[in-house]
Amino acid sequence: MNERVLLVEDDRELRTTLREALAVEGYAVQTAASAADALAQWRHAEASPPFELVLLDLGLPDADGSTLLATLCRGRDTAVLVISARGAEGEKVALLDQGADDYLVKPFSIGELLARMRVALRHRGRAAQPAITRYAHAGLEVDLAAHSVQLDGQALHLTPTEFRLLARLVRSAGQVVTHAKLLADVWGAEYVQHTHYLRLYMGQLRAKLGDDAAAPRWLLTEPGVGYRLASPEA
Amino acid sequence: MTTASTSLHPPLRDWPLGLAAWALGWAAMGWLEGRVDLANLAMVLVLASAIASFWLPAVVACMLAAGSVLGFNWFFVSPKHSLSVDLSQHALLLLAMLAVSWVIAAVMGRQRALARDAQRQGERVQQLQRFGEALRDSQEPAQQAGALFASLEALLGTAPRLLVLHGPLPASDDDSAALLLGEPTAHERSGLWQCLRQGQAFGPGTGRHAELRECYFPLRGRQAAFGAAMVPLTLDATPDADTRAQAQALCDQLGLALQRALAQRLADTAREEAQLQNVRNALLAAISHDFRTPLAAILGAASALREQQGRLSAAQQDRLLDSIDQECRHLSRLTDNTLQLARLDAPGMALTLDWESPQELAGAVLARRRARNGVHEDASRLRLRVDPETPLVRCDALLISQLLDNLVDNALKYATEGPIELLVRPQAGHVVLAVRDRGPGVALAWRERIFQVFQRGDDRPSPDGARTRSAGVGLAVCRAIAQAHGGELRLRARAHGGASFECWLPLQAVPALPAESEAAPP
Repeated sequence: MNERVLLVEDDRELRTTLREALAVEGYAVQTAASAADALAQWRHAEASPPFELVLLDLGLPDADGSTLLATLCRGRDTAVLVISARGAEGEKVALLDQGADDYLVKPFSIGELLARMRVALRHRGRAAQPAITRYAHAGLEVDLAAHSVQLDGQALHLTPTEFRLLARLVRSAGQVVTHAKLLADVWGAEYVQHTHYLRLYMGQLRAKLGDDAAAPRWLLTEPGVGYRLASPEA
Repeated sequence: MTTASTSLHPPLRDWPLGLAAWALGWAAMGWLEGRVDLANLAMVLVLASAIASFWLPAVVACMLAAGSVLGFNWFFVSPKHSLSVDLSQHALLLLAMLAVSWVIAAVMGRQRALARDAQRQGERVQQLQRFGEALRDSQEPAQQAGALFASLEALLGTAPRLLVLHGPLPASDDDSAALLLGEPTAHERSGLWQCLRQGQAFGPGTGRHAELRECYFPLRGRQAAFGAAMVPLTLDATPDADTRAQAQALCDQLGLALQRALAQRLADTAREEAQLQNVRNALLAAISHDFRTPLAAILGAASALREQQGRLSAAQQDRLLDSIDQECRHLSRLTDNTLQLARLDAPGMALTLDWESPQELAGAVLARRRARNGVHEDASRLRLRVDPETPLVRCDALLISQLLDNLVDNALKYATEGPIELLVRPQAGHVVLAVRDRGPGVALAWRERIFQVFQRGDDRPSPDGARTRSAGVGLAVCRAIAQAHGGELRLRARAHGGASFECWLPLQAVPALPAESEAAPP
């Protein structure tokens, strides 16, 4: 435990509240009130990577999030959670496409924040760790290496595209994957505009899994952002 | 209509008739010669001359009459085959014949001129009437500039140039502030602007700038001009006073219409602004009221926890914390809705349109509700029913989610028991997203009002004794969102009680999907 977290948030009240809540959970928290401040702490940190996780608030007084993200995401050893207010949807999705791990919309509860942080830390440093290739949750078992999908012990037949789509979500289980990322990784970069492919295939996949859209067990929809495969811990 | 070409003379095609009348007259005289005496023969000539002048121009008729009298003298009056006249009586006869023929020709010509004037007058009155009707029927007098253009062209025989102001007179001659017709040159444009600013006609015949080869007419309203017209003149024709008056009358009709339209527009704008101001004031008053209530609850609970913590039971503390949590969520929704309403009201609001699955959006709304099924709302009453045939819809996912969220909120609040169904299905070229409850429904008097900002139905006590509140902005946002998508929000009373709020979104053709074979993973 004792992961080092950098909290970049310009509102003093929220900063204090979050810092204390995270400290109670056992994280070693440092705070920054601006992008410049955050970069200074990043550079002066002893360890490498300086922090395991960064909570980045959009709408900082001195810079937009994407400039900061470029520095933080180098090496993929640091997980980045974006905190955004309503109305910054476009910027939020852009940051996720650029490599931020996940996001939270203000106002959020501490419970949500901690759950997101746990998932992000588990996925951290994918470059160094073996990639996630197995997923098991609520009766669905996916083994990417063996190319097999089982539902309640029964083999499930998916088309190649459906399988690639599910596989991509498995690799980021518990984290949101943006529409653009899914399209680029499953169909190819030239298909990023073909959002109707994604909607229709997600519908097919949901039907094959028997997943109820109103009470989904696996495929969670984040309107306007992307999809999330339910975290195995949930 | 061609007032310009109404001629004083009968058309050329009538000449043969006139000449034929003369030929017949001469044939008759040739045949009658020797059978009747000279005086009677002369009557035939007078008759032929009178008949011929129906079809011949007065001058031609007079010349033919004179020639005929000379011919009569030559052929019939003794001594024949000479122009000399032997009897004074015959001279008198010949002169009388000539005079009568000429008088008849002149009278015919005059008659024709009168008839032509009357016809032209009639046509001009008609032209003015037609133009007046066109202006009355048109929403936008500036669109009628084309009709004025055609009318002036018909009146004067040349294509005019027009300048019609879009709105109030600009400080400088700015061509973008006006509609220009007939492609005026720079010189003509400055003339048009000058005419507009002076509000007076000038050009030949107007007594001002007679040296010009064009006539300028202002489009006069009551106090000022709202445009100008220019008619280039051909070298030989200067329009007479009547024609100029007609042109000015046409221009003034459009000028008055423009003035009326401008006054109407200004009045409308002023009224809209006043209304907007009223709405804003009401909105601010209501917002501050709606925000204060949850804030008071939060502050109350928080201060109680701080000051009485030692004396409160664990259950009481939990209730206070829960209340803070709920009130904050309520405030958050209220803020989102208020901001969204302001955004949708702003001009140039762009939606982030994408192909979305309505089933997915509706499902996500319900899934979120169930995930945080709180003390204050019973998410287990929510059902989702989706027609499997529902196609994808091009919409803004976040806005449609917000719309559904608000409708579900409303249903949970006002229908305190019974299932609440979220229904998604295609219907009549639309996709319908409906939230249906079995609550008390909406009273007839409120069916329209509930969609206006900060109106609310009766606050009914809910079973747990808490007063339900309406955010007062939720349904207004829903309607604005539906309309921003080119759809609409409808409220239907259900057959067996309850209300159905339905968002109708227009369907568009979804691009096709490449076929893929069903294959087991290798």
